[in-house]
Amino acid sequence: MSLELIDVHKSYPIRGGRRVILRGAYGRIARGEKVGILGRNGSGKSTLVRILGGVEAPSSGRIRNSMTLSWPIGMMAGFQPKLSGADNARFIARIYGRNTESVVESVADFSELGEYLRMPVMTYSSGMRSRLALAVSLAVDFDCYLVDEALAVGDTRFGRAFAEKIERSGLILVSHSPALVRRLCTRAAVLDQGILTFYDDLDEALATYNAL
Amino acid sequence: MSLRGEVALVLRGARMQRRVIGALIIREMHTRFGRHYFGYIWLFFEPLLLGTCIGLIHLLRDSPSTFGPFEFYAIGYVVYFIFRGIINRASSAITGNIGLLYHRTITLPDIFFARHIIETVSVTGVLVVFLFVLFAINGDFPENPTKIALAMIGMALLSQGIALVAAAATEAVEGIERGIHAITYLALPVCGMFFLVEWLPDWLQELALYIPTVHIFELLRDGQFGSRFRAHYDISYVMGWIMVTHLIGLAALRITRQRIGLE
Repeated sequence: MSLELIDVHKSYPIRGGRRVILRGAYGRIARGEKVGILGRNGSGKSTLVRILGGVEAPSSGRIRNSMTLSWPIGMMAGFQPKLSGADNARFIARIYGRNTESVVESVADFSELGEYLRMPVMTYSSGMRSRLALAVSLAVDFDCYLVDEALAVGDTRFGRAFAEKIERSGLILVSHSPALVRRLCTRAAVLDQGILTFYDDLDEALATYNAL
Repeated sequence: MSLRGEVALVLRGARMQRRVIGALIIREMHTRFGRHYFGYIWLFFEPLLLGTCIGLIHLLRDSPSTFGPFEFYAIGYVVYFIFRGIINRASSAITGNIGLLYHRTITLPDIFFARHIIETVSVTGVLVVFLFVLFAINGDFPENPTKIALAMIGMALLSQGIALVAAAATEAVEGIERGIHAITYLALPVCGMFFLVEWLPDWLQELALYIPTVHIFELLRDGQFGSRFRAHYDISYVMGWIMVTHLIGLAALRITRQRIGLE
């Protein structure tokens, strides 16, 4: 089982031309692999995440996926701010066909939200939001987690628990932080000016990225 | 793939779609009204109140005719309310729910189907209340409730088809949603809610019967008091409209989905 990119192109029309995000990307991520994708701000990382997650169509080329892959876990993907964290967790459980109460229980255990779990998500801090999103996705249980950067999973109790949980599954982490990628991934790719290059050696990827 | 395999795939897809639509209904109810009973009551009261007002205005103003003006206009308005409610909300459905598309299991039509089910069920509840109250007050029961139910279903499906097209059009051309609101208002006098085809001069009858909602209102009134007038409607004409609008709407939404960039 794997996720494969086959000659993937993506560009957007912008004023006076097109902005190119990907020009012919190839790559294969096998089940259980932990891959970091590094890119500077504005290199199109978030778009790449959405293409990998199958929620945005590439301009041409194909994504072939045979794993269960999480939704792109960023800040607010489909979370309704007026609803409580628990209600949002129930909604996600329903659309992925999981038992609602066991998902809520697992989120309560893992997210460290305490009483806030019953409060509207709009009252959360950004750290709490990302903990909720990650906890819900872990409760649904995917082969591979697709995580957009800016997640407050630093070296905290939650961060360590998260790292431990994904030990047994795959991870695609898109980030501008080499430190985060080094901590969570075993392999990395660099996205620069529309070219996505996979490196088998993590150090080589980080060195290339740092030299950009 | 074998036929059996394909059938299994379609069934699995149908089960997933049912699950997603169910989840969306619960989410939409919680979001629109909070977890308070008052919200649910309002969903029900809005058409009830407006229907009652329109019915009363006509009851006081109109000379007594062969038809009870209250049941004619109040129930007519309730059916029009489906049309208005579904189509007016269409243009905000995609922008308001764009975050949901982060989940591959949710498709654009699912979002619409869920809302339309809420709208139709609540308005049907109001219709049933009206029918029973009228029965309790003056013992009038509709001559053919099946026809009334068919008219409701027809109105919901026709509105859904138009809503799908309207939503795709809104995504393609910015600003078009203002026009859509204007159209649902302008449709009020011509949609068939305020008249029977029989009351119109011949030349106008022919024109009126090009409007699909006119057929639906005729069917509704045939169900209410069919023996007291000659109804003009053609169910296959309405079904044609429903099919064509659904085909165009679903196809256009497919193209829309390919184009949507999230955030």
